Parts: sequence; C-alpha cells; structure tokens
Amino acid sequence: MCTGRLDPAIVAKAFKKGLDGLLVVGCYFGDCHYISGNYQAQAKIEMTRRLFEHIGVNPQRLAFKQCSSGEAAVFVEIVNTFDATIRELGPLGGDGDAVRNPALSEKLATAEAVLAGEKMRWVIGKKTPFTTSGNMYGEIFTEHEFNRAIDMIIVEETEVQEILGQLRQKALSVAELAGSLAIPPARIFRYVTALKRKGFVALEGISGRSPKYKLISQEVS
Amino acid sequence: METKEVLVVGGGPEGVRAALEKAQAGVRVTLVERFPALGAARIPRDRIVAPDACFVNPELEEARVHPNIRILAYSEIQKVRRENGKIQTRILKRSLRVDNDKCTDCKACIQVCPVNMLDDFDEGLGFRTAVDYFNPQTAEFNIFKEDMPVCQQACPVHLDIRGYVGRIADGRHLESLALIRERLPIPGSIGRICPHPCESACNRQYLDAPISICFLKRFVADVEIAREITPAYKTASQKFPEKIAIIGAGPAGLTCAHDLARLGYENITIYESLPVPGGYLWVGIPEYRLPKKLLQREVDLICEMGIEIRYNTRIGEDISFEELQKSNDAVFIGAGCHRGLKLRIPGEDDFEGVVDCVTFLREQALGTRKSGTGKLIVIGGGNAAIDSARVGWRMGFDEVYLVYRRTRREMPANSWEVDAAEHEGVVLQYLAAPVEILGKNGAVSGVKCIQMKLGKPDASGRRRPIPVKGSEYVIDAQTVVPAISQTANLEFLGKSTEFRLTRWNTFEVDPDTGATNIEGVFAGGDVVSGPDIAIRAVAGGKRGAAGIHTYLRSR
Repeated sequence: MCTGRLDPAIVAKAFKKGLDGLLVVGCYFGDCHYISGNYQAQAKIEMTRRLFEHIGVNPQRLAFKQCSSGEAAVFVEIVNTFDATIRELGPLGGDGDAVRNPALSEKLATAEAVLAGEKMRWVIGKKTPFTTSGNMYGEIFTEHEFNRAIDMIIVEETEVQEILGQLRQKALSVAELAGSLAIPPARIFRYVTALKRKGFVALEGISGRSPKYKLISQEVS
Repeated sequence: METKEVLVVGGGPEGVRAALEKAQAGVRVTLVERFPALGAARIPRDRIVAPDACFVNPELEEARVHPNIRILAYSEIQKVRRENGKIQTRILKRSLRVDNDKCTDCKACIQVCPVNMLDDFDEGLGFRTAVDYFNPQTAEFNIFKEDMPVCQQACPVHLDIRGYVGRIADGRHLESLALIRERLPIPGSIGRICPHPCESACNRQYLDAPISICFLKRFVADVEIAREITPAYKTASQKFPEKIAIIGAGPAGLTCAHDLARLGYENITIYESLPVPGGYLWVGIPEYRLPKKLLQREVDLICEMGIEIRYNTRIGEDISFEELQKSNDAVFIGAGCHRGLKLRIPGEDDFEGVVDCVTFLREQALGTRKSGTGKLIVIGGGNAAIDSARVGWRMGFDEVYLVYRRTRREMPANSWEVDAAEHEGVVLQYLAAPVEILGKNGAVSGVKCIQMKLGKPDASGRRRPIPVKGSEYVIDAQTVVPAISQTANLEFLGKSTEFRLTRWNTFEVDPDTGATNIEGVFAGGDVVSGPDIAIRAVAGGKRGAAGIHTYLRSR
C-alpha cells in the first residue's frame, strides 16, 4: 500500500487499542510511483504527531522515514533506531507520555474523532498544493504558516470533539460542560453557539436558568 | 450626446432607492457597497432572526436584476479625481472567493470550514467560519480573507513580507530572496539602511517587539553571498526595441531600469553624473552602514540584464536634455536631491570651511576628502546630520558637535543611529540654533548659537522651537556642516522649463504613472517626493517603469 493512503484515523485507532509505536517507511521524495504519495504521507504523519503532542502522547511514538526497497542496511538501521526509542519510552500511557492511562485512551478516542472528521482530512490534503503551486488565486503559503494554522485547528477541533463526545451521552448546559472539561466556559459558549449555527447541536430545554444543548445526529449522505 | 453614468456609494436601503430612481430614469448606475452583499449594516442584524422569517426589502431584489444597475459588492472607493467636469474613481473590488452562480446554498461548507474567527456582527461574542453567508435570504456566500498584511501595506513597494519571512522560517532562504527580488532589485542595500516603516506597523510589537523584517532581508541577501551564488535576473522572452534613457543611477533609476529590462526592453541607458553607481546610496550613506562592495555587486547584477550605465555624464553639460529627449522614446528622471539647503545666516558664504552635508559626504565617499582636524560642527537632526557627524568622527576630527534646535524626541533621525553617534563620542547639543558663522582671515573660527525653548506643536506635530533672547553663545569650530535638508538640482533641464514643478522645486507627476506634463518624460524618487527614504525612491522607480511600459505599448 502507498504510505500516502494511510489514514491518520486508523493510526489513532491503533494507538487507542494499545499500540506503543508506529513506524511509517515510505519512498524517497521524487521516487513516488504516484508522484506525490510520499509528500502526502509525510504531511499526514507530521500532522498526527502534532495532534498527539497536543493530547499528551509522546510524538516520538510515531515516525515517518524514507528508504528505497534496495537499501536493506538502511532499513535495518531505521527499524533498530525506532525499536530502541520505543523500548526506552515504555508502554503507552506510562512514564514516556505527558498524559497517563486511563485518561489517555479517552484522549485518543477524541483524537480518532478529530482525524476521522472531514475538516482535518481536507486541510491536510491541501498542504502539498498550497505550499507548492498555491491556491486558486495563486497565493502560495509557507510551511511555517500552514503548520501554525494546523496547530490552531488541532486545538479547536479537539475541544469541539470533546464537547460533542460529552453531548453524545446526554444533553448538557455550558456550565456543566465547563465543569467536566478543562475548557473555560466563555470558550465553550463560543463553540456551542457556532455548533448550533452549523446544525450540529440544538436547544433541548432550559433547566433552571441555563439552556441545555443536545446533539443532532448527522445524516450520512 | 454622451451617456451619463451615476455612481452610488453605499448599498443600504437609501443607496438602493437612489440607484433605482436613477436607473428607472434611464441612467446607467454603478452601485458600490462595502459589504459582500447589498443591504449594508441592516442585513447582519437579520441573521439573528430565523432564516424563513427574515425580512428583506423587495427593492434589493429589484436592484439586483435591473439592467441599468451594475452592482460592485465587497468594494471600496480608494481615490476620487475630478477632471474636466468628469469624476474618475478608483475602486478596489475584493473577490468573494465563492462562485455564487454555482452555489446551491447547502451550507455544507460552513459545517466543515476549518477556520474559526470572531464574528464581527455580534462584536466577537461568537465564532464565524471563514466561509459564511452574508444574508440568509439571498444566500450570498463569501470567504473572508484578510487584506494585505499591515507590514505589506506600510511598505512603499508592497514587498510580500509575509511570504519571505515565512520562507526564512521554513529554512528556504534562497526562495525567500527570490521572492524579495520579485519587487526589489537591491535587497542587500535596502536590508541594511531601510528605516523600515513595516516594522513600525508590525502587529507583533503589541506582544513584545516587531519582527526584524528589515534585517531578515539583509540576512537572506548575505546568505547568497556567503554561499557564493551568483543569481541571474531573468528578462522576458518577448523583446521590445524602444530606447529608454534614465537619468541617475540611484535607487529610483536602478529600479526603473531593472523593471523595464525585466519586461523585455533592450535599449536602456542610465546616465550618471558621478563616477560611481547608486546615487545617494553610494555618496550619501557611509561605508559602515552600507559597504560599497555590496552595493557594486547588486548594481552589477542589474547591469547584467543588458543595461548600460554611462558614468561621468552630466545632463545639461555633456549631453543636453533636449538631445536626450529626441534620441530616446522615453526618459525617466531619477536625479535625486543632491543639493544641500543653505542655513541663510550671516557669514555662511564668506568663510572657507562651511561645507553642506551632501558635498561633505560625497567627497568623503569618493575619497577626495580623507581627513580632518580641529572641531567639526554638524547642524541638523536628520539621518544625514548623524551620518555626517559619525563620518566626521571617523575622519579624525578632534571634536564633533551636533547642534539641533529641538530635543532628541523631535529628531527625525533613526533612534539607533543617534545612540550609536552618542556612543562613539559625538557631542549632541539640543535646543540650539546657529545664528551666525564667525570667521578669521577667511576661515571659519566658530558658530554663534542661540538657545531655544519648545513652544506649541506646529504642522508636523512637533513642538516649534522658540529662541530665548540674550542666550547667545559661541562654539569654536574649524569646519561647519549644515545638514538641514536637501533639494533637487534641476539645472540639467536647461531651457526646457515647461515642466510643471511644485513649490518645493520637485516635479509634479501623475500619481499613478509617474508621468510629467511633458509627453514621454517620467520622474520618480526624491526628485518627485523631496528628500525621502530609499525604499520610497524604489517605489517611485517601479511606478515610473510601469508608466513607461504602458505609455510605450499604447503608443
């Protein structure tokens, strides 16, 4: 399989099931049979690493390396180095990571939801064209800018998915959401109003003086 | 009879009504609206109403389909000019970035838009996505994209600062330099000397300090030299045979020549009165701020595009201006301001040892004035004054004084230059103005100064200095350098004085093309703006090149 086809959502799912490390080895740039497959792979893995760092997984657990099919020695070297790194880090959710188990598996579930959504897929798919040939208007973005945008989207998307995850269980008010998630209420309010406008959540009723929001199930078209 | 056209500014209910009234009377109407759709500020309020219930003025729809009305939404008027009873306007039309003919109003884009931003319609209480509808009834979508960044707006040549600084952050130094060269042919020089209006505008300063935009430019230019790479300036494949003469090889002239050569002009000649290129960059900016070797390298790169520079050729003496005009298809004047203003005080012309700063710096740069002894007094507070003082210090004057009539706060010179001068040992005297130059046996012996105090702010916003009566004192000096300002030397024009000049003895030019009132003659740089910073002269050169190209191609 081309490394460019590796879906980051699958990566998150594998880690959720207890994977300790994942090494993705692709072709050298310029050697790709599909022209830009390895660029896509690199962008996807890089983005997933950034997301992992944000949620508390040590990003060293995930790596993208390059070698050609004729380079046995290089391949052995890559695998041995990676193996040593993972052995040093120990099992997932242990001393090697910023967040411990079992909180980490909840975080990884959020990460899977983030990576499975259209937003991250579309953004990361645009990275290669936007930084090389530019958008429809010929505006070329630098990698620095794109990564900064991705960092912002990662933070927002994780928080949104955490809110949606809570609402999936039962209808909650902004104050209740802020109580269970480590996000300030003002920020939650912004997300909830935006989600309401986009048609993801709706008002369920008012308990006391605070409105409660429920999730609207999205039709899959 | 000429058809009348009416421009209505503002697409609110009043504007729409006015446009419809005129359109129904058979007049062609252009309706300009700042927001992405008609309805103006009333419409955003509609968004809080449920979509089906929201009220939309029926006149809006009528205006939208009326054959006599042309709607320019998301547009702003930038300039209005009145000429011969006609009004010409320049309108900036932004792109909606959404093809509303193809949009089916499914709102799926809003659901997945990755960019959240604070909504302006509820004063930032909630988020809007970058792609959003403006009016729920008419479903006119647009993608919000910020205009030019503030730094780029502040730059006279509108360098793509966001792009080149970002490329440096990516580590793509040469690509960054190539991007700078798209608009600026002398990045190394400008990166050293520019007073960087971009950094004064930078948003980062509200957090800590502005991005070092200027020195980053210098850095990438130096990377190229350190790696010993010789870049090639590309020219267009289509060539044009027209002959173009450029007066002055300063920043304006060099940029104009570069831009024209890039467009494909093959016969470009720069006439330079000095034996060196660069104009004020060479003879006005001291070596410690801008090494001559580096400037020469940048000029050589431009010359390799097929541009000839004729040194030691003064227009009006070696070749007359009329001759130049006759033998060329277009002339660009970028002669700069190379004449220092006089102090207009007694004794100025009577004694030897009074040298204006332009001459002082030029002679030093060309090597004809190598050393000095005794006391040097520089009068003025601009960058030229600081340069003269610091150059004087390096030439070996025993003591260097800088006399300025206001205080340090009002000094137009760059603060870091003043710091450096003070650090080197230049004595700065504030609130002092010269009233007379004293002399003995035909040579300067001192300057009589008077103390000043600050009064009310004047037109420039700086407090006006007022002399204190009876406070005169004398500073001994052997050399006096007035550096109070420069003016253009337009003697080279000879008898052809039909040029329309301003009262500051500069050319009056078309603000869009740089064309003077004489056909085929363009001007740019200090000779138009008065003494100003180098990057603005570059902008003048670019404008002139674009103007010449349009003029020659439409002939």
